Amino acid sequence: MLELVLFYTASTIALVATILALTRANATHALIYLILSLLAVAVIFYIIGAPFAAALEVVIYAGAIMVLFIFVIMMLNLGDKGDRREKQLLKPQIWITPVIFTLVLLVELVLVLSQSAPAEIQGLVTPKQVGLTLFGPYVLAVEIASMLLLAGLVGSYHLGRRYLEEGRENSSRGRS
Amino acid sequence: MSMIELQAILPIIVLTVVIVLLMLVIAFRRAHGLTAGFTVVGLLCTLLSIPIAMAVGEQTMSLLSVDRYGIFFTVLLLGVALASTLLSWEYLRHRSGRNEEFYLLLLLATLGALVLAFANHVVSLLLGMELLGVSLYAMISYPEKGKLPLEAAIKYLVLSGCASAVLLFGFALLYAALGSMSFVEMGERLSAATDNQVLILAGTALVLAGVGFKLSVVPFHMWTPDVYQGAPLPVAGFLATASKGAIFAALLRFFMEAQLHQYDTLLVTLGVLAVASMLVGNLLALQQQNIKRLLAYSSIAHFGYLLITLVAGGMLGGSKLAVEAASYYVVAYVVTTLAVFAVISLLSSEGGDEKQSVTDLTGLFWHRPLLAGILTLSLLSLAGIPLTAGFIGKFYIFTAGIEGALWVLLAALVLGSAIGIYYYLRIIYVMTLQDDNKTVKYSSPWLGEIVAVLLAVLVVWLGVLPQPLMVYVGGFF
Repeated sequence: MLELVLFYTASTIALVATILALTRANATHALIYLILSLLAVAVIFYIIGAPFAAALEVVIYAGAIMVLFIFVIMMLNLGDKGDRREKQLLKPQIWITPVIFTLVLLVELVLVLSQSAPAEIQGLVTPKQVGLTLFGPYVLAVEIASMLLLAGLVGSYHLGRRYLEEGRENSSRGRS
Repeated sequence: MSMIELQAILPIIVLTVVIVLLMLVIAFRRAHGLTAGFTVVGLLCTLLSIPIAMAVGEQTMSLLSVDRYGIFFTVLLLGVALASTLLSWEYLRHRSGRNEEFYLLLLLATLGALVLAFANHVVSLLLGMELLGVSLYAMISYPEKGKLPLEAAIKYLVLSGCASAVLLFGFALLYAALGSMSFVEMGERLSAATDNQVLILAGTALVLAGVGFKLSVVPFHMWTPDVYQGAPLPVAGFLATASKGAIFAALLRFFMEAQLHQYDTLLVTLGVLAVASMLVGNLLALQQQNIKRLLAYSSIAHFGYLLITLVAGGMLGGSKLAVEAASYYVVAYVVTTLAVFAVISLLSSEGGDEKQSVTDLTGLFWHRPLLAGILTLSLLSLAGIPLTAGFIGKFYIFTAGIEGALWVLLAALVLGSAIGIYYYLRIIYVMTLQDDNKTVKYSSPWLGEIVAVLLAVLVVWLGVLPQPLMVYVGGFF
């Protein structure tokens, strides 16, 4: 019963946060809601018995990738205009909703962790199982995924060079 | 994985090794000719590894199944990659910029296509599709100058990303209903499943929408003309042939192995998509003045024709004739379309702006008769005139349609082909016009011309002597 309540609360938060992320005009605000949505999804994963997926969701998506996004967006707003914008970020009406949602998620997490058997809805998927499946029957999928990353890397390298060169051309044209 | 299984997937392993080696070659020495030459040798090595892989017979693994069907499409896709490499070399040679990474991306896209040809599992299908897609985004936006390639790449990236999400969601629903991701197991459970019908139908509908996007079937076709127009010509050719062919091969396998033909609703949906694609594709192509956009609309129509085989296969309970017809038509379409793109890409191999407009072809018969002849031949094949591959392909589809008694679809096929003849012949007519103010000197791109001639020979050969290929495609599934 408790699990169902927790599941539906987390799902609601995920949905609301995603809708808010889509409708924000400011990229930074949208990203904060996106992080919130990812955290809520992580809690859902934990409740239905996939703690490893939950940890990955927090560490990789909400942690590494999204923080990187926010840093880049904030760094693009340097200067006076950026300072003013950053001051606006500190207004309570902007950060209060995500904070409340996150607190709800935290309470949920504590509740789930305080229970002895965290997953009764589905069988528990342990990290060991994940590893054994990934490098057993699905080893080819891992290899193909590595090639997929290579394709992304080569592509972004090439496109990034185009951006750099256009910038160089523009600046030299400005000087002459 | 056992040694036998590793031997069975040898083509994929060889291609992966070639990709890694090519990366090292580029890292040590940047030279356009060397890179292109290495790519050709690598693709030939991959082709040579196929007999070794076939020596162990058909192998079904958890993600890939190496059978006659997969090998057949592998040979076709490697052939397309080989031709695309040579055409890209001719195309990029006179254009400035760093061209070496292009071949790396081409090989990666080919690897994705090979995975799709062998995929018998949702995971390998999605990974193959993504590998193909991600390489194509970069290939479409490869030219370092100009806004159109970037625009095309962004359109393709966003829409293809949406399509992948829809596809993934559809497969998730199917997994929730059936509890398996392997095609064959899905098929077994599908016949046994009585509950969860809604989930299964919603899942297959979403999968169909996702694949429809990638195959650019009406009403999911909006991106096609813009992407074709913006992409460099060899890339547009690769996108139209290898990418669509590989995805159709994977769809056909999924359709047959997961036994989706038992759902009448699905067959009706496929039929509606087919009719819409045939009519809308051909009608929109009528007024096109840009060859690339015209080919985009024509490819929409051709995939409408191809969908008839799926419906026919469904009506006949998964018959062999439908698979035969589909496989034959894919080969005919791929060879013919590649020949058209080869000629247009060779016309633009001098560097500078691409020759995209139909009027650019004015008087082609008088100053470049060889290329004009090949283009005429392949356009006739696209229109389905006898003695060409396109005719036999359409004939095959017609036979499958009659077996399945699909009169509405066949009527649309006839109507679509009739409209098609008009705009294909219009290009041929423009080529025969006299045009005396053009005395441009050009250096003959002989390597590319050999490729184009070989493709044209193949078009005629498949149209005159279809028997050997028919026998081969008759043995699938």
